[in-house]
Amino acid sequence: MRYNEKELQALSRQPAELAAELGMRGPKKGSVVKRRLVKLVVNFLFYFRTDEAEPVGALLLEHCRITQEEPSGFSISFIEDPERKYHFECCSEEQCQEWMGALRRASYEFMRRSLIFYRNEIQKMTGKDPLEQFGISEEARFQLSGLKA
Amino acid sequence: MKLNERSVAHYALSNSPADHMGFLRTWGGPGTPPTPSGTGRRCWFVLKGNLLFSFESREGRAPLGLVVLEGCTVELAEAPVPEEFAFAICFDAPGVRPHLLAADGPAAQEAWVKALSRASFGYMRLVVRELESQLHDARQSLALHRHSSWKAIPSRCKPQAPDHLSRGLENGYALSRDCSSIGLAEEGGSRPAGSGLAECELQGPTNLLLGRGQSPVSPETSCFSTLHDWYGQEILKLRQGWLQRARGSQPECEEQDRP
Repeated sequence: MRYNEKELQALSRQPAELAAELGMRGPKKGSVVKRRLVKLVVNFLFYFRTDEAEPVGALLLEHCRITQEEPSGFSISFIEDPERKYHFECCSEEQCQEWMGALRRASYEFMRRSLIFYRNEIQKMTGKDPLEQFGISEEARFQLSGLKA
Repeated sequence: MKLNERSVAHYALSNSPADHMGFLRTWGGPGTPPTPSGTGRRCWFVLKGNLLFSFESREGRAPLGLVVLEGCTVELAEAPVPEEFAFAICFDAPGVRPHLLAADGPAAQEAWVKALSRASFGYMRLVVRELESQLHDARQSLALHRHSSWKAIPSRCKPQAPDHLSRGLENGYALSRDCSSIGLAEEGGSRPAGSGLAECELQGPTNLLLGRGQSPVSPETSCFSTLHDWYGQEILKLRQGWLQRARGSQPECEEQDRP
């Protein structure tokens, strides 16, 4: 699949929702923990060698599962292969919870569901569609089902 | 730079909602010259969120390409591009060439430009935050009205599963204070839905009975067919049903249906 690396590199330089140095271990068997600067930008998780400006890699955070891993770490896996995990080690339980919460909310799909929920709640309460004032109530992205691919 | 391509491709092919799709001619393929020439390559494009995928055909089993729609603007393409109905995705980042695309007609061109312009994560986040704040305000004002117009309906019922909601209301359901989700309508500075949905409002006629994660449209709920049923209801009808039943009939109880 072709994608523009420069695009992603530029994205990795954008303001992050969260950024920290964490221990990271790839999904392959026998991989070791490495210190990485991990940066959450929109629905991508970038990871850098601690002294480098360009990311080593990126993870798109759609259809992923965040699981707590003892002692104070978490893993990210994806729906099509749940056993294949990217492991992260935090310095405290608090940091771990902070990251897990942020990553669970990081997907576009999560935002979409939130929006639909709020839209519906407001409509129930006020009898009005809150998106009408913006002229976007008919947009596919704000509908319950969107378009099926 | 590495990317979890297999997962990305899986997401592209999954039945998660697509925001737009259609045939477009593209000049971004491999081996294409730096300036667009020729008629381009006709591909099937699918927009999901802030990701634009291209496929060789509608039935393509793997995406050909991905454009991440962050830090970009979408503009109608200017001359001397000879293509009709062309538009370009232009990136702020230096060294990233605009991505030239052409639709089949003016309506398709307009629809694509609109859809792509609103594709960024930031745009969605803005709308979500706006609605979140509106919901907070609506709940506060509802809570103010609640006390004056309703008295407590004693009941020990558990929160309803979404697809029983309408029946539930007709039978005069009410949530007891013991319901698994906590508390009252007022929720200062509510977090984005997911952590903030655990609310059950006692007796409010328009605040339907929602347990944690039980809302048909909470982000934790995944049963969209249920959501469709639920949306079909008229608000006023629900309110009327509630009013009637609350005055007289016996509340029934039903097991909470965990998703």
